[in-house]
Amino acid sequence: MSDKKIGNKKIDRRSLLKFLGVAGAAAGASVMVPNSVISESKKMMFAKAEGGEEKGRQSYEVKPGEYDDYYGFWSGGHSGELRVLGIPSMRELKRIPVFNIDCGSGWGITNESKKLLKGLTVGDTHHVHGSYKDGTYDGKYLFVNDKINARIARVRIDYMETDAMIDIPNAQGLHGTFPQRYPKTEWLVTNTEFQIPVPNNPGAPQNEYYGLHTIVDAEKMAVVCQIMVEENLDLAATDYQGKYSMSTSYNSEQGVTISEMLAADHDYLLVFNWERIREALRKNNYKMINGVKVIDGRRGKSDIVLRIPVPKNPHGVNVSPDGKYAVCSGKVSPTCSVVEIAKIDQAFAGKIKPEECVVAQPEIGLGPLHTTFDGRGNAITSVFIDSTNVKWDLERAIKGEKKPIVDVLDVHYQVGHIMATMAETKEADGRWLISLNKMSKDRFINVGPLKPECEQLVDISGEKLRIVHDGTTYIEPHDCIMVRRDVIEPKVKHRYDMFEHPLAVTKSGVERKGKDVTVSLTANAPVYGLQEVKLKKGDRVTVIVTNHDEISDLTHGFALTNYNINFIVSPFQTKSVTFTADKPGVYWAYCTNFCHALHLEMRMRFIVEA
Amino acid sequence: MLRPQTNVWTMIKIICSAAAMMIQFLTKASSDFFKRGMVIMKRLILLSALLFVLYPLSAYPDQWKLFEHRYEYKLEDVLQATKFVQKKSYWEGYKDDKLAGYVFISKEWTSKLVGYSGKHLETLIGMDTNGNITGVKILFHSEPIVLIGLKEENYLNFIKQYKGRNIKEPVSVGKEISMDAVTGATVTAVVQNSIILESARKVAEASGLLKAAKGSGKKISRKFAALTWEELKASEAVKNIVVTTKELGLEDEGDYIDLYVANITPPSIGRNILGDVFYKDIMSTLKEGESAIAIFSKGKGSFKGSGFARGGTFDRFNIEQGAKVYLFNDKDYRVLSGIKAEDAPAINEGGVFIVKGGEFNPVMPFKLTLLLPYRLTVTKKEFKSFRVEYGIPERFLE
Repeated sequence: MSDKKIGNKKIDRRSLLKFLGVAGAAAGASVMVPNSVISESKKMMFAKAEGGEEKGRQSYEVKPGEYDDYYGFWSGGHSGELRVLGIPSMRELKRIPVFNIDCGSGWGITNESKKLLKGLTVGDTHHVHGSYKDGTYDGKYLFVNDKINARIARVRIDYMETDAMIDIPNAQGLHGTFPQRYPKTEWLVTNTEFQIPVPNNPGAPQNEYYGLHTIVDAEKMAVVCQIMVEENLDLAATDYQGKYSMSTSYNSEQGVTISEMLAADHDYLLVFNWERIREALRKNNYKMINGVKVIDGRRGKSDIVLRIPVPKNPHGVNVSPDGKYAVCSGKVSPTCSVVEIAKIDQAFAGKIKPEECVVAQPEIGLGPLHTTFDGRGNAITSVFIDSTNVKWDLERAIKGEKKPIVDVLDVHYQVGHIMATMAETKEADGRWLISLNKMSKDRFINVGPLKPECEQLVDISGEKLRIVHDGTTYIEPHDCIMVRRDVIEPKVKHRYDMFEHPLAVTKSGVERKGKDVTVSLTANAPVYGLQEVKLKKGDRVTVIVTNHDEISDLTHGFALTNYNINFIVSPFQTKSVTFTADKPGVYWAYCTNFCHALHLEMRMRFIVEA
Repeated sequence: MLRPQTNVWTMIKIICSAAAMMIQFLTKASSDFFKRGMVIMKRLILLSALLFVLYPLSAYPDQWKLFEHRYEYKLEDVLQATKFVQKKSYWEGYKDDKLAGYVFISKEWTSKLVGYSGKHLETLIGMDTNGNITGVKILFHSEPIVLIGLKEENYLNFIKQYKGRNIKEPVSVGKEISMDAVTGATVTAVVQNSIILESARKVAEASGLLKAAKGSGKKISRKFAALTWEELKASEAVKNIVVTTKELGLEDEGDYIDLYVANITPPSIGRNILGDVFYKDIMSTLKEGESAIAIFSKGKGSFKGSGFARGGTFDRFNIEQGAKVYLFNDKDYRVLSGIKAEDAPAINEGGVFIVKGGEFNPVMPFKLTLLLPYRLTVTKKEFKSFRVEYGIPERFLE
């Protein structure tokens, strides 16, 4: 990223625009060309700003009809969903139901979603990441964990819809999750924060509770294997060479109480060697437990895991965009530990000790949790107890400076995760940062004891960090990524491929086999394909609806009154629902999603005979 | 949006893919023993799938009748003649053994042009040997004009305006043709206009009344040169229409709309306007014979309007080349939110539109017509139409 480095010297407007990717390709065409369009008003704003103030004065206004420069993908915490926001406007563009029920879209109500959810209705999404190719996003998938029910879900970016969900066996508190970055996402790693007996035998002693680093085949969405260790495994990261995955551990003590978990004065960054994992799989060096290949990675049992000691109870681990350093944020230690990834090779080869991989340990503040990067050599760390974002210089830290701090920004309040635009890719562009604050307290008008979260938008294009917007969110995002619009936009479709769904309806009709009745309906504004359906009490009814309207954004709904059924179908989409017709009478089904001037007339009868 | 079915080609595609899926399923299920039988099965499935295409015509007989209007006709309704001789897809009309003109039904010529209903507006048209329209009669339509408080009579009055128009001259809604009778039904009016003109011009070409334009034999150059906005304008790679508020009789100062058009297929035009990423993306989605044009504007006037959101069809602009009129809908469209060329102004709105159908010749000029509705007062709405001719400049050809 050195070719992108903008020094401290004043830069003129022209080079600033170049840096922002506005005036044609920036120098070093392979990296960082945000597809941003800066409108005249934004240019004016730059022009008006004085001298050195130009950097750090980006306009965050997105006027009516204008587009955001970035797609933001947010986890939804214990709401169980994902969200899509526009950056920098912070407008919420979409909610993608994942592990939750969504009455508006019918997720959790339709047969298709029930098949994925398998009867579960709660989830806790923490970490959302995109699929990669060659160290940057390829715009194909998003992956997200469920900490409550130990699942991984995948979202197709073309439809922005959950398309696969798998259970992770032997796991509890499924937490840090990260896709392979290079050469492309074939594997995905996910961690278990809560150690449990493996297999889960209630009589097992505490020292036989284990953490598992699970490897998932991202395309097939199937578990490849698990590496079992004594430590709990918290946040996860992968390198930029396809060689290692990493995880912090705050409970290497195998404690089950807070005091036990805090006992030791150091814990670890665990590094998993993928070549050696593949070798163990080739040599059948694993045990099958609950249908999964479990590789023993305990201390002294294997050479797959490298344990780099870091001050006790660390939290996040993040890799710098140049792929050189992994930064472990200290949490109960006021420091960040900088691990040089090149040294990991030597440590695995036994040439140096694991602790020699740590090349810097600067003091950042009280409660450092997560670190992100601006692509210009700076790290920005969220500091929970101080309630700040701290910008610091990686090189100065490595040279031995104890406090290589560039700027400290108060945030409101109690920041958890932190993320800069494109920061988890080699194309980190240092434009915007989100401080995902856990508490909003007095930042918004009072809406009762439960208040919104406060996601603060920070301009990081200059020397100083500058808060430009307080964004509210519903319960409770943990993490986000912000991806340049040009990466995502071409992949996103306006309509479904109708015959991807095996039940797509081309002709409306009713088919009866004993008590099983299938009602096939086309939906075309403003009519369903049938005006009435006759049923008998006790029939087991499956309604399949296909939207035949091709016009973009013309979504239909299907709700059946007094039967607790509601879902929507977007252009060319098919969904189905099965219910028992247990109440005799006349029941109107109607379109719930506005579709036409005669939307209210778009309804039909289900007549259930006693 | 009142569409009882998607268009027939979509249905064919859908049904064939369904058949392919069934075949795949059956193939998987079959053992060697059954393979011979399977071949016959496969043929049967394909056949039935093709027959099935006919289904949409009778898909929702009851629900849609409310909107359907069908009229009886005689050829004399649109051309005074004593004898009619049937030719391929049109009739010649003779008066005292002298050729008086032609009569034709639009669906033979322009069936792909569909109205708000998603259906063709079937029109009987008469034209004399000089290209003057001698009469127009609507035969079938299912435009839901009742939804906006219009009567069938309004529509029939609108149609009457075409008598006497010459198809060698430009004929646009909002200019030569008034929208007054059908205010609000812009899509219907614009499509009807295109249907009459394109059908008539095609018949004129078929009968020798008009000569079809020939290609110049040139090709689009694939070479790239970085050009600034000023250079793009100076070379006429982009052309514009400026409509001032004064022209419209509005009180504000300045330009109501400054609308630009460019064929962005040549890299030296497209890449400079769209930027590398977007240009590459658009080009990769173009099918054989398709072209892409960019239209974008400054000022408070809107060329996209908001009506396309529900109906899918853009009713404020179209392009004409030879006999063909091209209308665009939301499937042929990608948002263009800014111009990448150096020193380009900020735009108010923009789009990249795909010109479909192999008939469009990218190296030949086309006309862009802008139909601009505007409000004189909060209760008085007017329409005016503007045109610009665009051709890719020589320097981008080879």
